[in-house]
Amino acid sequence: MPKNSETKQGYIFNIPLIIVVAIFIVVPVVGTIITSFFRDVSFLPEKFIGLENYKRLFSDTHFWQSFEFTILFVLISVLLEIFLGTIFALVLNENIPGKGLLRVVILIPWAIPIAISARAWELIYNFEYGLFNYIIIQLGLSSSPFNWLGSSTGAFFSIVISDVWKTTPFITIILLAGLSTIPADLYKQAKIDGTNFIKRFFYITLPLLRPVLIVALLFRTIDAIRIFDLIYVLTGGGPGGSTTSVSLYAFKYYLSGDFGYGSAISVLIFLLASALAILYMKFGRLTEEFK
Amino acid sequence: MNEERLKQIFLITGGIVLTAFCLLPFLWMIIISLGKNPDFLSGQTSFGFTFNNYTAIFTSSSVHLLDYLKNSLIVSTIAAILATIIASLSAYAITRLKFPGRILIPLLLLGFSMFPQISLLGYLFKMLSELGWINTYASLIFPYVTLALPLALWIMLSHFSRLSKELDNAALIDGAGRLKILSKIILPISLPGLFSAFILSFIFSFNEFLFALMFTIDYKARTIPVGIALFEGLYGQIPWGYIMAAAVIAVLPIIMVIALFQKYIMQGLTEGAIKG
Amino acid sequence: MPNKKIFILIITILLTLTSGCGNNKKEFTIWIGGSPTEVDYWQILINRFNDSTNSDLQLIRQPTYTDQRKQSLIVSLEAKQRNPDLFLMDVVWLNQFAKSGWLYSLNKYAKEKDFSLNNFFRGIINSVDKTDGTLYALPVFLDVGLLYYRKDLLKRYGFDSPPETWQELVEEAEKIQNGERKNNKNFNGFVWQGAQYEGLICNFVEFIASNGGSIMQNGEIKLNSPENVTALKFMRDLVLKYKISPGNTYTEMKEEEVRRAFQRGNALFERNWTYALKLHDSKDSNVKGNVGVALLPHFDNNKSASALGGWHIGISKFSDEKNKAWKFIKFVTSYNVQKDLVTSVGWNPGRKDLYSDKSLNKKLPQLKILYEALGNSVPRPSLPYYNKVSDIMQRYINECIAGKISSKNALNKIQNEINSVENVYAEK
Repeated sequence: MPKNSETKQGYIFNIPLIIVVAIFIVVPVVGTIITSFFRDVSFLPEKFIGLENYKRLFSDTHFWQSFEFTILFVLISVLLEIFLGTIFALVLNENIPGKGLLRVVILIPWAIPIAISARAWELIYNFEYGLFNYIIIQLGLSSSPFNWLGSSTGAFFSIVISDVWKTTPFITIILLAGLSTIPADLYKQAKIDGTNFIKRFFYITLPLLRPVLIVALLFRTIDAIRIFDLIYVLTGGGPGGSTTSVSLYAFKYYLSGDFGYGSAISVLIFLLASALAILYMKFGRLTEEFK
Repeated sequence: MNEERLKQIFLITGGIVLTAFCLLPFLWMIIISLGKNPDFLSGQTSFGFTFNNYTAIFTSSSVHLLDYLKNSLIVSTIAAILATIIASLSAYAITRLKFPGRILIPLLLLGFSMFPQISLLGYLFKMLSELGWINTYASLIFPYVTLALPLALWIMLSHFSRLSKELDNAALIDGAGRLKILSKIILPISLPGLFSAFILSFIFSFNEFLFALMFTIDYKARTIPVGIALFEGLYGQIPWGYIMAAAVIAVLPIIMVIALFQKYIMQGLTEGAIKG
Repeated sequence: MPNKKIFILIITILLTLTSGCGNNKKEFTIWIGGSPTEVDYWQILINRFNDSTNSDLQLIRQPTYTDQRKQSLIVSLEAKQRNPDLFLMDVVWLNQFAKSGWLYSLNKYAKEKDFSLNNFFRGIINSVDKTDGTLYALPVFLDVGLLYYRKDLLKRYGFDSPPETWQELVEEAEKIQNGERKNNKNFNGFVWQGAQYEGLICNFVEFIASNGGSIMQNGEIKLNSPENVTALKFMRDLVLKYKISPGNTYTEMKEEEVRRAFQRGNALFERNWTYALKLHDSKDSNVKGNVGVALLPHFDNNKSASALGGWHIGISKFSDEKNKAWKFIKFVTSYNVQKDLVTSVGWNPGRKDLYSDKSLNKKLPQLKILYEALGNSVPRPSLPYYNKVSDIMQRYINECIAGKISSKNALNKIQNEINSVENVYAEK
């Protein structure tokens, strides 16, 4: 008797979660997948077209451009974030005065809605009177202002910088948690043995940090693929579509009334994210084995 | 010792870089919001310290700043409350009761959290249109609850799993029902966890942009990230002073939250990450 | 009891949700965007309408930029919202909106006794306001591309009238540019919109039509005609060969950039919409009193052509106040209100009969030229997928002007990509 009622209770407690997830995740995902097999355009009658949208997608050069951009963006951003995040985590790990304040400060970029901070960045990158160009000219780094938002290279780096700014805190916090699990005795022993700071970092810190690093990498990569807010506000995908991420590309199709094609793109993005997740998990487990 | 000195230097420089790095755009926002000429760096105009930008955006009826703020606060709070409640219920059952699927649910949820929002957008929009929920709070609250659930669940899971089952057993023997145990015994001692879950869900909902952009149309339901992102101001050229003033006001709630609850946020994030 | 507490909490929440938005009230709304002065004027108009007909039309401000206005409208319409009841549409959106089932047919209203379609330009009504024979919108104001010129400079260098052919324009511009550059190195012969955006297509359409070319032939897009090739090559030559148009023509030049250049005194000829005229004559304009306006030039043995722009008004298919909405449309397209639009905001009336109004012509002598230009106006293709076509055209035309590809290649590439687009979006 206890077993049965326990099972029943178990499910009852989970009903709200199941309902909410079923309606607002499962149904839309399935719906999106199904829509991707249809011609769903606002000014045309709906029609089942099988894989037509996908065929069109595979020969769509604009899509592959946005795909390339997204991958490049993810690679560079995530690497920079891990690098900076590690340094910041090392700083925050120590018992320095103002530690509490620093921890609040580090949260600010992550906590402010990116759509809002993007406007501040818009101003900072402004060609004529933005902060960065002012600094560049004042410091003599260049004789002419840099076209941050109006050139494809400039726009690319503008987005990378702003995104690194926004998500390094998140990486920092995760790495900080990882650092705190490393027993202080290991360091003490190493110091007594005479190993210097650098060796301690590479032989103790990094290896023990690896599982956390992998988790951070995984989350960040999958997250970075979805990038939308920053690009929509800062560059709108331009100039000339050069900074359009795959999410933005799908969004533009939804906005122009072509839900079928937008859905196909969305499905592809979803598959890409899943593939990466699986890849990471496999890779993560492999390195675990090697230790 | 040399190394100690090096370490000191590293830490101090690191601290300064960290602070400058994190605060730069925010400080710039504040500076520009207090000046008449956002282009003062070009050298052709002076800065012109003024509070005008703030008074202007509050007194102008077409800016709707307070409406956006109100909408954001209501939507985020309700979504966070619902997410925390639902997560608590599920987490309790998963850690206390045996039923098939108790491991599957959190894993599936984790999987779902990887979904790019864009994959949900199109069909969700159609669903919400049919329900007539476009441009209402409901169109945002329920999706936000769903998006916040994975993290909220993992936080509550990690908290509840650390609580001894003896507490429950003692009450069970006394004849108490599971729900009563949860609400009267478990929840009161899980306040830190609840708090973390609530705050993180709140922050996440407050910052959400894509859904708010597509599911809301005007000031009646529009949230503040969308409001500021699309802010054009009252005159043709981009009125940076106004935008920055509005932005500063918009982020004040969040800054207050993280200043007060930094500990809970950190805890929640690390739990979610380590468990993941 | 905890159960009860949670239950009450959930009920409260649900109640807040459903009541926290007020979408249940019946509202009569119109969405208007554009520059603040324009929107302010609309508010005055709407107040007048509400007073005189005892109505309650509300103006909801939209963003200034056309793209954003379109986006928010599409979201609202896709969601079948009851608001807005009325909205303004750029002329190039009409076909898409009509074919998507977002507009309410005005046929029955147009047949009413106190209304006549004959008061409008038949060609325009048939080509843009009607789709498949059904009337879906009416023009509120029309716009055309014009040639602005510096009267004083032409006179000083011995030319007594603005150029009628492109060849004449080049000759005059070269001579005057050389002369003026001695004192003003920012001076350019001819400024026009060549950046990669919709405005580029308007300029393109004018150049090719003034050479007898066109985008559509027999209802299909056919771009690689010799007339088009020549005209596009000429656009590029203006910047790269004759060098009478500035280097940033294809990177930055849009309406405002062009207007400002001319208004600062840095250009001899300007191609722009009619809005520029009033501004050129304003207090702080460097060219006040020296601006003339004429039809755009054409290639030899051809006719002048002007791109057709303007905004039209329509009723949402999902509106819950359709009859009230029609009353406002009648109001806005009535003779007196249209006359007021001209004198107050400087718009060109959508009604044909106003162009022969004596007092108007006295006040605005350029009305005659406007009327002629409207007669020569060329619409952009009326297709529901026009914006996709436009995107493709913008890209390659811009590349051509920048000197990256030849005009023949550009047009071929456009044709190919449009063919693929048509495979997807043309009705089958």
